[in-house]
Amino acid sequence: MEVSKKYRFGTLATEIIMVLLALVFLIPFYFLFVNSVKTFSDLLTNSASWPSSFEWHNYARAWDITNFPKAFGNSLIVTVISNVLLALFSAMSAYRMVRHNSRFNKFLFAVFVAAMVIPFQSIMIPLVKVMSSLNLMNSIPGLIVAYLGFGVPLSVFLFHGFVKSIPLEIEEAARVDGTSIYGTFFRIVLPLMKPMFVTVIILNTLWIWNDYLLPSLVLQNADLRTIPIATFAFFGQFTKQWDLALPALVLGILPVIIFFLAMQKYIVEGITQGAVKG
Amino acid sequence: MKSKKSSGLLQQLVFVGPSTIFFAIIIVIPFLLGLYYSFTNWNGVSGQVTWVGIDNFKQILTKDPDFGKAFWFTVRFTVVGIILTNLLGFFLAYFLTKPLKTRNVLRTIFFMPNVIGGLLLGFIWQFIFVKGFSALGEATGWHFFNLPWLGDATTGFWGIIMVFVWQTAGYLMVIYISSINNIPKDIIEAAEIDGASKMQILKSVIVPLVMPAVTVCLFLAISWSFKMFDLNLSLTKGGPFRSTESVALNIYNEAFQNNRYGLGTAKAIIFFVVVAIITSLQVKLTKSKEVES
Amino acid sequence: MKKRSKITLASMLALSVVLAGCGSKTDKNADSASGDSGKGATKTIHIFQFKVEIAEALNKLKADYEASHPGIKLDIQTVGGGSDYGAALKAKFASGEEPDIFNVGGYTDLNTWADKLEDLSGEKWVSDMVDVSKDQITKDGKIYGMPMNLEGYGFVYNKDLFKKAGITEIPKTLTELDAAAKKLQDAGITPFVNGYQEGWIIGQHTLNVAFAHQEDPSAYIEGLNKGTAKFAGNKQMDEFMKLFDLTLKYGQKNPLTTDYNTEMTMFANGQAAMTQQGNWTQVQIDGITPNMNIGILPMPINDNADENDKLLVGVPNNWVVNKNSKVKDDAKEFLSWLVTSDQGKNYITKEFKFIPAFKSINATEQDLGALGAEVLKYSKEDKLLSWQFARFPEGAWNEFGSSMQSYIAGKSDKDQLLADFQKTWDNLKK
Repeated sequence: MEVSKKYRFGTLATEIIMVLLALVFLIPFYFLFVNSVKTFSDLLTNSASWPSSFEWHNYARAWDITNFPKAFGNSLIVTVISNVLLALFSAMSAYRMVRHNSRFNKFLFAVFVAAMVIPFQSIMIPLVKVMSSLNLMNSIPGLIVAYLGFGVPLSVFLFHGFVKSIPLEIEEAARVDGTSIYGTFFRIVLPLMKPMFVTVIILNTLWIWNDYLLPSLVLQNADLRTIPIATFAFFGQFTKQWDLALPALVLGILPVIIFFLAMQKYIVEGITQGAVKG
Repeated sequence: MKSKKSSGLLQQLVFVGPSTIFFAIIIVIPFLLGLYYSFTNWNGVSGQVTWVGIDNFKQILTKDPDFGKAFWFTVRFTVVGIILTNLLGFFLAYFLTKPLKTRNVLRTIFFMPNVIGGLLLGFIWQFIFVKGFSALGEATGWHFFNLPWLGDATTGFWGIIMVFVWQTAGYLMVIYISSINNIPKDIIEAAEIDGASKMQILKSVIVPLVMPAVTVCLFLAISWSFKMFDLNLSLTKGGPFRSTESVALNIYNEAFQNNRYGLGTAKAIIFFVVVAIITSLQVKLTKSKEVES
Repeated sequence: MKKRSKITLASMLALSVVLAGCGSKTDKNADSASGDSGKGATKTIHIFQFKVEIAEALNKLKADYEASHPGIKLDIQTVGGGSDYGAALKAKFASGEEPDIFNVGGYTDLNTWADKLEDLSGEKWVSDMVDVSKDQITKDGKIYGMPMNLEGYGFVYNKDLFKKAGITEIPKTLTELDAAAKKLQDAGITPFVNGYQEGWIIGQHTLNVAFAHQEDPSAYIEGLNKGTAKFAGNKQMDEFMKLFDLTLKYGQKNPLTTDYNTEMTMFANGQAAMTQQGNWTQVQIDGITPNMNIGILPMPINDNADENDKLLVGVPNNWVVNKNSKVKDDAKEFLSWLVTSDQGKNYITKEFKFIPAFKSINATEQDLGALGAEVLKYSKEDKLLSWQFARFPEGAWNEFGSSMQSYIAGKSDKDQLLADFQKTWDNLKK
């Protein structure tokens, strides 16, 4: 309420330094953008300069060739469904593992943590074998199952740390009132975990939205391809068609930037709510 | 008593079951299959799979100096990478929790590098190192831009580090921000009233209270940098002369370029065991520093 | 209250199971529809290929072929250049969804895949294959694939810059090349731009020159495998090193930071007069400077003009048929159509812009551009050196490239470099 903090000289200096640093951070985006509206020869020859003319039709062509609406739809479905299920299942597991810290659960948690360091490339051949024997290949639900499997360790790990910081008293009070363990979890614990949900969802969204290798292995049908796969179609054996790949890339990251801007409000909100409990 | 036990089992199944099933299908089973291949000489294609016992492991440990080199590169990369990203991430968070006018915009900007995925990100940066830096070098004449970026062992290493830090610092910043914001205001105010300086508050109040976030961030950074593959492949492909080859890339090349899938998975197993030991030590170490609730 | 949450839970569990099981079932149906090939209905030929450059033309071809061949459908998948085709193909086989037609390189790659391949020796186009394309795809006397095209390389050069520097005769020996480079340098022109950051440029194409110049390359490689031949002390290796040094001496600075894109941009913008590349760069060059006055020079390693006036020509890849395919006759029929029908030939020369690997297909300079025409000319005069890098042990070119980069960086000398080559070969040979 009394946010009338003094905006002193020190704060101003900090602000200026941070803005400068932010500009440095933005340099690659400058390259990304200006080169996405240049002709092929221009972008290779004058990569750093401001475009002499804006070739907006690069975007139109990239949009058409990637069949962008279709790819966008596929990416969206995969990302949203994987995210929801992943966050929910992981939160449930983490909750149980913290509150019921049995030997088995301790072991399971250790396995989850260890699995996070397995390099994907080393299991990809056996993975497609297993997935095809379960009929999970070449289908969006199959890809979602794969994301659930790969995503569980990190998400559980993050929730695990967070559940520990939730005081037991609230739950105990609810239990004394006769609420079932499931009711306690869904109506009391889950809302408290909101800040961590935000973190987990952001992490997983970025990963799933941008992932290339896994969908390239699992989805072979052209109708099913996601944005990164569509973008990679511009990279040939010798020639990288930057004049099409860069616009496709810009189109692909815009939704995520918008998503993050939208989520930022919830982050602040989630954190404020988290503060209430303390 | 009995019913309590069975409901406990039900709860275990309901809460832990789904994630464990998916995890088992997607990671555990393929991993075990991979374990089997590591004792064979399978080339990844043929129907012939011959059991060779521990030959692969012997060969890696005794006759493959490049694997050791890749390991050493990965270790150096991890140490430098996690220190820099965490420091930068933490300080970004520290300053962006101050009442700056532009802080919401700034948070978004620092986070933005995360929206580009690994391989593409590497290709763009390669483009920047090769074309952009030379253009900047011509314009400014600064020695920094005229270095042979990605062209020798040193600039290759620091080039990858730069991109890695650029990409991940903003991510860790988000986690640190939420952690710093969770520190009750009155604690800091009380310290201020007691006349503590900014540095003192940072050192004795904020840092200890964000230790849980440090655990998470360290862990994230370690697992990212140990597994680093996309950036490595797209920036330097491990070159020049294998000086920037990470373990993940070394494994990949062994399995798919040299067509020695068995040997490649054996490397992956060794790598996994070593990293698992290191990370579990790290988690134990930082967890012991957290304040248990 | 209690119940509701239980129901939610149960339904969620059910949902996830359904998701896992059911969704793929619909897919299975779609799959079996196309797999049911023998039953008279539509047959689908699954093609899995890596040349992104021809992906669009292939889509056109698909429409044409399906129109003229009722009952056949082509399903063409192209793997993007960001990932590695070999790995994707292995994953495809591991998943059981084996393609009917795919790409395999010659020699070593052929050995890796041989037990999956259909013998194509009996096809009618075999007799039309150009000689240089046969060896690489032959195993135990049988032909296992149809060569995709020919590609050739040497020093791509800028004729206008040569004229400007006063070079009238094209250099055909090492001494002449040195003299030409000197003239260029004196005229203020960078003679060479070297894309030595790229492993395939240096470890495959550059080093191949030393192998191709051997009196009997096959025997030399055989000798290396048996341990009877060595890198050190080999005459052609020594001579090759002189050429390699020459490109470095007259090259741009920072060859190790120069990737393929930079190399071609510099060349197309006239910032250097020569670059070791092949006819595939035509597209890239045209994209930057259309109608450039260019050609390809041989890569001489000594002063014998006859021996050196040759380009390095080979088959980069082959179309092969999966021997376990259910539609293998249709697949063979399709490949045959591609190289014997007028429509198919037209696609190869006019749409794919390939230098045909068949005597029965004619291409013109208009189709191929200046560089392709030059390769075609050398190939018709039979002034060719072969591509041997596909015979290197698997993965070796990568290592060779690394060792050569190390030499460029001054971390090793010539003796060390040849010793490194030897070590790599001995370590990776089978």
